[in-house]
Amino acid sequence: MKKKVLSTLLTAALAASLLAGCGETAAPAADTASSDAGAATEEAAPADTSSDAGSGEAYHFEIIVKSYQSSYWQAAVKGIEAEAEAKGVTVNCTGPNAESDIADQVNMLNSAINNAPDGIGLAACDQSACLDALQAAMDAGIPVVCFDSGCPDAPAGSVVSTVATDNYSAGATAAENLYPALKDKLGNGQVRVGEINQEATSESIINRGLGFIDKFAELAKADGYTVAVIGNEKYVNDTKAETVAEADADIVIEVGVPAQTTVELCATEAAAIMNKADTIGMFGSNQVAAEGILTANENLSVLGDKILAAGFDAGSVIKAAIKDGTLFGAVTQSPLAMGITTIDVLCDAADGKSVSDVPTDGYWYNADNMDADDIAPNLYD
Amino acid sequence: MNSKELGKKSILTKLGGQKFIVLLVVIVLFAFFAVASPDFRKYTTVLSILDYSYYIVLMAIGVTFPLITAGVDLSIGTGLICYSLAGGYLVVQCGWPVGLGMLVSVLFGIAIGALNGVLISIMELPPFLATLCTCMITRGLGSICSKSFGISWPAASAPGGWFRSIFKVTLGNTKYPLGFLWILLIVAAMAFVLNHTRIGRYTIAIGSNKEAAVLSGINVKFYHIMAYVISGFFAGLASIAYSAVFATVQPGTGAGFELEAIGGAIIGGVSATGGAGSIEGALIGVFVICLLKTGLPFVGLQANWQQIITGLVLIGAVLVDIIKKRREAK
Repeated sequence: MKKKVLSTLLTAALAASLLAGCGETAAPAADTASSDAGAATEEAAPADTSSDAGSGEAYHFEIIVKSYQSSYWQAAVKGIEAEAEAKGVTVNCTGPNAESDIADQVNMLNSAINNAPDGIGLAACDQSACLDALQAAMDAGIPVVCFDSGCPDAPAGSVVSTVATDNYSAGATAAENLYPALKDKLGNGQVRVGEINQEATSESIINRGLGFIDKFAELAKADGYTVAVIGNEKYVNDTKAETVAEADADIVIEVGVPAQTTVELCATEAAAIMNKADTIGMFGSNQVAAEGILTANENLSVLGDKILAAGFDAGSVIKAAIKDGTLFGAVTQSPLAMGITTIDVLCDAADGKSVSDVPTDGYWYNADNMDADDIAPNLYD
Repeated sequence: MNSKELGKKSILTKLGGQKFIVLLVVIVLFAFFAVASPDFRKYTTVLSILDYSYYIVLMAIGVTFPLITAGVDLSIGTGLICYSLAGGYLVVQCGWPVGLGMLVSVLFGIAIGALNGVLISIMELPPFLATLCTCMITRGLGSICSKSFGISWPAASAPGGWFRSIFKVTLGNTKYPLGFLWILLIVAAMAFVLNHTRIGRYTIAIGSNKEAAVLSGINVKFYHIMAYVISGFFAGLASIAYSAVFATVQPGTGAGFELEAIGGAIIGGVSATGGAGSIEGALIGVFVICLLKTGLPFVGLQANWQQIITGLVLIGAVLVDIIKKRREAK
């Protein structure tokens, strides 16, 4: 009996702490949202597809992010909550603890469907794991808007719109800016360019990685150089670049993917590449991967002169590294605008309007333009 | 440790038994990677292995105590991140001095350790379950403490960045892994605590035969709690090592760190069924895991192999323990 009471109390305490956790994440976002909402709404203006805000109905949407692991998602949630308040709708934001917790996220999606909301916003960790749940959502008549990452194989009609950075072209943007800076190191024997991707399962990361590889190879080919892609099989197999055998290549693009999405394991993968004598460039395709490259550099001290590195996303560590010249530059997305647009599209879909995909942009930034008016608002800490 | 019970002492047991084998494994692994990859031989690689090992070694030292009592502490991984976020939030957002933030990290660890101890020793929850609960609680608490934001403790060059030089000092153009010196001193101290003090001996007594320990008048409840307090304290120290080595601490991470520490301790000879173990063994065991983690990417193996190989090594270590026990029983 005594044991039973105790375990009940413990369970209650556990549940309470979990609930408190959810409440707490919402609070700071709401505080700061008011100050940023103005700037962000302007940002989103070109992508805004809604005509009349507030259709009178108090819709409820379930939003599932990839994780709360990086400030990128916190900025997206900020945009979502600010726009929900502006539109007079309610949202419930959840997300797994890490972007690799694919099964957790599928469970969250299933419970979101059970809550029968007016719409679901989903940033899928894995582009194929959610397919059954998406079918279930369609059967239940709940429109799903994918944001950040799409689900290209989703059952037709289940995903009404995808609001995402064109990740492939954003990855290409990094290559377009990094390649010219590396150009004078080409032509004197084989050189190596490393790419760190935190995983090989989500559409956004895969496309960014491939976008970088394909564009880099395209630019190199235009200058008469041959390229080999080695490392993680997913990227090696999926690249559209014209490749040759490693031994014959002027440029070797080596792709490292860690077993788990931690900065430490990204750093180890990065160090293995950055240690090689012929490495001249690095690309980290998200915040964790870019911080992994910077962590590896703590001991190696090769970035800035011997190796030029490009990152992706922002955060205080990456911003500081760009400012002091350790990182050559980075591509940033606009998570705030993405969050706002997601709510707009969800409202339209709930109103029964026809909606379509909304691509959002990726911007190159470096020490010179990071304080510019059109870049700075996207550089979250 | 078991040499007295053994009828005939083999050369291996004289040399320290499993610890010796594991030390050989570390040397062989290092030699293998060094031959296979010229880059692995570089000083900076050794520096990185040490950098990324401190927090796991500290966790492993602490978790050795619950393991010896035939328990386990699953809360140390997410706990580490939680303590680092809590201390870091006070430093970065509230302007507390770095030293005070570090103290908060350690005290937080001790508090969660004490909670684990009370749940297990007084309320008699199974250790696996109790620490699984505190694992979830600390994961949530960490996010609450930092308001779900990643925390970047002050950089080495920033004001307050001095604490990063606890583990790595730069003299001239060379970086020195000062942290390894502290690790060796802590291992020596804790090995003494485990083998020559009341708290250590009673921890072993609880693990070998709890009934006998109760009957011989040991305050089992108190010393059982202390095993978890030690584990929590070291998770707190590990959080400082983590904050000092990595630029950003992300809420929601940390799950899985405890398995590397527990795996390391078991590879190093902590009995999977309690009652035996050593601190220096845990140190060596962790280096097996750290070497695999760092070395495999250097020889071009995809990272998923690292987990498979670590799992296989762990099975090997547990088998050695079981075979040893069977021989003793004969």
